[in-house]
Amino acid sequence: MLGALLQLTCSAPPALPQTSPVVNPPPCDFSDNFYNGNGINVSNLNLAVAGRFGTFRQTGPPASSFNGGTNNWVPDSTCSVNDPTRRNFRILATTGGYVDDGTGSPTDFISILAFLTNQNDFTGVANARNIQMVDIVTNFEAYAALKQRLPNGTFARNPCGTMASPDAPTTPCFPVTSVATPNLRQDWRFATNRNAIDGSDENRVSGTGSNATIVNNSPFGYFCDDLLGMWIITYFWFTVDPANPNPNPTQQCGSILAALGQKNGFNLDGTPIIKTADELNNQLEANHCGAEGQEDVGGADGGAVWLVCPAIPDPRQGGIAPDAFPDVVFKPDGTPLDPAIINNFRCLQTTGQFCN
Amino acid sequence: MTAPKSKGKKVSRRQFLRLAVTATAVGPFFTFPDRALASQKTLTIAKWAHFLPSYDTWFESVLAQTWGKQHDIKVIVDHIPVEQIGARATAEVAARKGHDLFMFPWPPAEFQKHAVDHTEIYQSVAAKYGSIPLIAYKSTFNLKTKEHFAFADSWIPSPLHYFQDCWSEANMPLGPVHYGSLRSGGQRLRAKLGIPCGLALTSTLEGNITLHTILYAFRGQILDQNGNVAINKNAFTVDALKFVKALNQDAGTPDLLTWGPADNVRAMLAHKTSCTTNAISLLRAAEKENPELAGKIRLQPPLLGPYGVTAFPHATNCSVVWKFAKNQEGAKLFLSDLVDKSDAIYEKSLGCNFPTYAKTVPNLIVRLEHDSQGSPPSKYKELKDALHWTPTLGAPGFANPVWMEVFSTSVVPRMFGSVVRGDLSAADAARAAETEVKRISQKWNQT
Repeated sequence: MLGALLQLTCSAPPALPQTSPVVNPPPCDFSDNFYNGNGINVSNLNLAVAGRFGTFRQTGPPASSFNGGTNNWVPDSTCSVNDPTRRNFRILATTGGYVDDGTGSPTDFISILAFLTNQNDFTGVANARNIQMVDIVTNFEAYAALKQRLPNGTFARNPCGTMASPDAPTTPCFPVTSVATPNLRQDWRFATNRNAIDGSDENRVSGTGSNATIVNNSPFGYFCDDLLGMWIITYFWFTVDPANPNPNPTQQCGSILAALGQKNGFNLDGTPIIKTADELNNQLEANHCGAEGQEDVGGADGGAVWLVCPAIPDPRQGGIAPDAFPDVVFKPDGTPLDPAIINNFRCLQTTGQFCN
Repeated sequence: MTAPKSKGKKVSRRQFLRLAVTATAVGPFFTFPDRALASQKTLTIAKWAHFLPSYDTWFESVLAQTWGKQHDIKVIVDHIPVEQIGARATAEVAARKGHDLFMFPWPPAEFQKHAVDHTEIYQSVAAKYGSIPLIAYKSTFNLKTKEHFAFADSWIPSPLHYFQDCWSEANMPLGPVHYGSLRSGGQRLRAKLGIPCGLALTSTLEGNITLHTILYAFRGQILDQNGNVAINKNAFTVDALKFVKALNQDAGTPDLLTWGPADNVRAMLAHKTSCTTNAISLLRAAEKENPELAGKIRLQPPLLGPYGVTAFPHATNCSVVWKFAKNQEGAKLFLSDLVDKSDAIYEKSLGCNFPTYAKTVPNLIVRLEHDSQGSPPSKYKELKDALHWTPTLGAPGFANPVWMEVFSTSVVPRMFGSVVRGDLSAADAARAAETEVKRISQKWNQT
C-alpha cells in the first residue's frame, strides 16, 4: 500500500512546467549522486529511520493543523532544472530558527531533509576536495531543545542515554529519539557564525609587532564546503527544575532563568527561551544551570546525531515558495511560541522581504 | 644588538636587516663581509629532543653543519630531553651563560626578559614569506614591551589517533568525533574488547597538551583575554574535571595515572589502548616498526567539545636568542635561514613539523593527501585544516609568562590528577588550581 502510494506520488506531474532555471529557487532534496559524492550512504538514507524527504514523511509532522501544512514535500520536476544537484522533490516544510551570531535574530530558514543516526550513514569517502563530510559537519552545530517536561508533568533535568550531565540526576530523563517539532520546547538555533562568510575564525595576522592585526580566515564555510547543508545536533537543556531552580544555596539559577525569561519569553516547559550562545554558555552553563551535548555517534542513543538540513541561502525573492509552510514550535492553543519567526516567514513568502 | 667584533664597531639594527635581506636574496652564499678576517666563530644550540630521533640526527649532522660551512661558523647542537628543557633554560639564565640559541617546544614566555627582541628576524623573513602568521604572533609577542621574545618557525598539530578496528566495534569507524562519544564509545570498547582509552593524563608534555586541550574545549580558561585569572571563574573547569574523571572511570585504566613521557605512544604501539591524542610521530613510529598495526590507526581532527573542535599544538618550535649569547648575530641569521629550510624540516620530521610560514611548503595539502608511508595514502588528509583547529598556547590571549609558567609547572595535569585519583572533588581541585594560578600571576605582576 505504502509502495503504491509512493509510486503514485513519484509519478505525479510537476507542479510548475519549466524548462529553464530560475534564480533563487525554493529548496529541494539532493540527488542520490550528490549525496554519494559528498560521502553519504544513500542506502541508509532511504531507510525509514532517516526519514528522507521525497521518500518518507510526506504527511505528518512537521505538517500540522497549526501551521497549515498538509504535505511536507511535493514532486516538482523543476528542481533538477534549477539545480542539477537536486532531485525532483520540493520541500514545503520550512523550519525557522535563530541565527547564532550573537543577535539571536529569528531569520534562519532551513529544510530538514533527513536525519542521520550513526556513523554508518557516512561512507567514509571524501568529497571532491578530499575532505570527509563527517569532519566538515562537526564544525556546524544546530542546537535542538527537546521538551524536558514529561507527560506526567515531571521536569526531567537530564536526557536519557549517554549525554547526561553530572550536574543533575540521570532519572527521570527526557527522551532523545526524535527531534520532530512536536517534541521541541522551543525553536532551533543555528551556529551560522562558524563559517567564512562572517570570518569568525582567526588564523592569520597582517603586519608585525605592535602594528599587527589579526585577520579572520576560515577553511570551512557553510555555503562553500558543507554542500549538503549538514549540521551536527547539539542538544541543550536545563539542569535545574524551574520550580526549584536553586537546589543548593550557592546556585543563582533562579535569578538567571527569571532574567532570561523576562528578556526572551518562556518555552513550552516553562523555562526561558534561549536564542544566543551567550545565553546558553555564559549564563546557563557557566553557572551549572544548563548543559549541552551530542548523541553517541555509534547510534546508542537512538536519535538523530546529524541533520541534512540546508539553510536557504537567501530566503528573499523566491527562496520561500507560495505553497511552503512554516515549521515552528506552537503552543497548545495553536499560536506560535515565538511570533517573530513566523512573521518573518509570512513577510518573506508574501513580499519577498524580511519584516521591518 | 651586539655586533661582529672584528672591525671594532657595532652593526646597527638597520644594517642587520639589510644583511638579512641580502642573505635571503642570495641564499646560502651570504657571509658576513669581514668573515675572512675573523677566526671561525661558534654557534651553540640547545634543542629540545624531537619525538623522532632521525629528525634530530638530520638537524645536527646535515642542516646545522651545512649552514655552518656556508657561514664559516662551527655549529654545536645539544639535544635536551623535553622534560629537562625548563630546568636547563633556567640554569642558563641564572648563570647568564650557556647556548647562543635555545629551542623550546613551547613559547618560553617566562624567559622573555633574558631574550633579545626577535622582531627583526620576523621582519627579515617577511620580505620573503609575508607577514607573521598568527600562531607565531600569539606565541612569541609580548604585549607589554611590544617585542617578540622568541621566533617560531614550525609547530606540530595534535590530532586524535584511534584504532579503526576497535572503534568499528563501537559502531564508530570514523572515530568518536566528540567528547561524549569518546566516553560512551570508549566504555563499550573497554567492556567488549578490554581495551581502554589512552589519553595522556599525567604531568608530561603529552598530558599537559591533552589536558589543556580538554579544559579549553570545555570552555575553561587559565586566563581570560585580558590576562585575568579565570580558571575557576565559572563552571567550565569543573565540567572538564568531572568529564575526565568519568572518562577514566568508564573507559580508562588506572595505569594511565602512572604514565611517564611518551607512555601513551608506547601503549598505542602495543595496541593496549584504543586511542590517544599526540603528534603524528606516533603513527610514523608505527609505520616504521609495525606497518600492519599502523594500517589500523586512523587520524581524526580533535574531538568536538562545547567550545568547538580544538586542540593545542603538541609542540610550537620557539627559538630564543639569549641576551647573553656570545654569537647573537649568528643565532639570528641561523633562525632567519631556518625558515628557508621549512620544506626540508617538514620532510625530515616526516610531516610532524608544520611550517609557520605556509608559503614555505606550498604543496602541503597535496602531500597530506598522498603520503608515501600512509596506509591508505590519504590518511594524513585529516590534518588539512589543522591550522583552523589549533589555538596557540596562551589562548584565548597571548602566551604570556603567567600562562606559560602554569603550563611548565603542570598546574593543569596536577589539578586533573587530583580529581581522577579521588584526592579532591572537582570543585576543590579547581579552587586549589585557582590559588596556584593567582600566586603565579601575582609574582609576575610584581616583576
